[in-house]
Amino acid sequence: MKGEFILNKNHLSYWLRQLRKNRELIGPLMNSGNGIPGNSQTFGGANDIVFKSVDRIHEIVLDCPASLPSPKEFIFPQYEPMLKYNRGETTDKQKTDEISSGFHITDLKDRTRRVIFGVRSCDISALKLLDKFYLEGYSDPYYAARRENTLFISIVCNNPDPTCFCIGLGTGPYLEGGFDIQMTDLGDRYFVQTGSSGGAKTVRAFSFLFSRPKKADYEDQYEAFLSSKARFQKRISLEGIRQMILEGKVKDAFWQSVAERCFECGGCVYECPLCTCFTVTDRVYSEGIERIRLWDTCMFKGFTRMAGGLLPNEKMVMRTKRWYYHKLIHYPETLGGFGCVGCGRCTITCPGRIDMATVATKIKGLAVNSQAS
Amino acid sequence: MKIKDHKTDRNIYKPMNGRIDDIIQLTADVRLFRVKTEIPLNYKPGQFFMVSVWGAGEVPISVASMPDKNRTLELCIRRTGEVTTAIHSLEKGQTIGIRGPYGNGFPLDISKGRDVVIVAGGIGIAPLRPIIQMLTRDRDDVGRVSVLYGSRTPDDIIFRDETVEWADNGIKVVLTVDKGNDSWNGNVGLVTGLWPEVLADFKKAVAYICGPDVMIKAAMRDLFFLGMPDEMIITTLESHMKCGIGKCGHCYYGARYICTDGPVFSYRDIKEMREP
Repeated sequence: MKGEFILNKNHLSYWLRQLRKNRELIGPLMNSGNGIPGNSQTFGGANDIVFKSVDRIHEIVLDCPASLPSPKEFIFPQYEPMLKYNRGETTDKQKTDEISSGFHITDLKDRTRRVIFGVRSCDISALKLLDKFYLEGYSDPYYAARRENTLFISIVCNNPDPTCFCIGLGTGPYLEGGFDIQMTDLGDRYFVQTGSSGGAKTVRAFSFLFSRPKKADYEDQYEAFLSSKARFQKRISLEGIRQMILEGKVKDAFWQSVAERCFECGGCVYECPLCTCFTVTDRVYSEGIERIRLWDTCMFKGFTRMAGGLLPNEKMVMRTKRWYYHKLIHYPETLGGFGCVGCGRCTITCPGRIDMATVATKIKGLAVNSQAS
Repeated sequence: MKIKDHKTDRNIYKPMNGRIDDIIQLTADVRLFRVKTEIPLNYKPGQFFMVSVWGAGEVPISVASMPDKNRTLELCIRRTGEVTTAIHSLEKGQTIGIRGPYGNGFPLDISKGRDVVIVAGGIGIAPLRPIIQMLTRDRDDVGRVSVLYGSRTPDDIIFRDETVEWADNGIKVVLTVDKGNDSWNGNVGLVTGLWPEVLADFKKAVAYICGPDVMIKAAMRDLFFLGMPDEMIITTLESHMKCGIGKCGHCYYGARYICTDGPVFSYRDIKEMREP
């Protein structure tokens, strides 16, 4: 399963072209800017780089910023049709008998085989927790179908953004394992590592493109790693923050000050590679009814609205606190890792500057202040 | 992690058909739906089902009956939101979507040999009804049984006929209303004002509570101060839910998912829950 190879950069596009023959190829592309609103795959600013289905391989942006939108939407899409309900004979073998509605339910699970190229280490680290969340206990069939059919080719970030802080969380910029295929840019070639059987198979099938790494390659790879580490501007350890919260050192007044800056836009949740909440709704069309699920966010007041209109989390402070507690306290307890991989996307998105990095830094500041006083 | 993609047609989100065999109007806005399901379901009191009307949506509804061999399921539903209004518009013979059961259900074995106190408010009687039915059947397994049941008005008392049956089976039933009328000569006021009526040694009793949030909180606190151990004070919580299986995140509260960790919790569990 584990293997190390060298891929000459000239061979990259040929390799991707071959992979595309039996999978949909997804990669970072410059957004054209015209598309359908509400669909982040086709809509967005003209200069945004987003993960999209690749039509022309040479258009893949290899030197894109580290913080491009996460590929979460290919395994947990913003809009996912679940079931379709229309008139017709049922073919369900489980159906025993007389109880039939005269309608037929079709399962709309997406089993498209995809390969996503150019994923960042932080997002690969997020996958480990997402897998645990969606597949343990009751397994989510939609996530499982997409996850099983998706292969990730990740790239080590040689040039992290000023907002990145994966280095302090061990979720990047370089991973020891957990990836399918990990590539490190060494200038004229890639240092390629395989970490799963799917990844190994993908490399082995084109073994004529790959060579064995030499001593110089290992040295260059190590150097790239060191220079990347040195480029990080943020060093945040969430463990210390977690301890402070558990010890009751972060008072409600602090969360109130955070809540007062919240615009309730939900941007942090939509950008977060580890936010998993969704809502389910029925759409009625002339040819039938579709049950779909959509991203939802706990930052909205209506998220917990109950029949009759009661709002358990009406106060904003409840919602911001819930988001931070979920990521900093609950995730480590149940999934064995923080609900944050240090991708820094909320830092870029949040208009109120109450993103994870800023709030964590402020909490750390509380400790310093309390010691001083 | 092994990823299991069920290649079969199995899908936990796919509801099965349930045929409405009977509809009983209990009060102005509450109906009991007797539903026959495609396959027999094994459920416990306190568990719930995701009930759906295609085009309107899905809601969590707790079971109001004990499982039986006839594949029937009783759901006691108050018309209050979009989906429950859609359910109320259905007629006998029509089908609804059912998936479940989900949730942990009431711990019933802890009541063995103990006095039982049941506290209900409004529609909160529905999930407690199967417990009461079970206790009337297996009356000897437990000590004395008291049911305190509060409603808004005498016309809002759900299962009023059954309360008489329960009393005939040796259960002390005490009803109360928020607001009486001319024909009402019973109690008026909160259920938490009825503790002196309860036949129980609070220190060695078990309580099952369901009702509005404020009532649950007040009843749990009172019983605790009356000496009942906190792990013997049991309630079931209600929340907005979209999946029922711990994925959609709507019912996340205090580091728990009400759907999979609950909906039944003891007072001890609730005290340990971290806000928010």
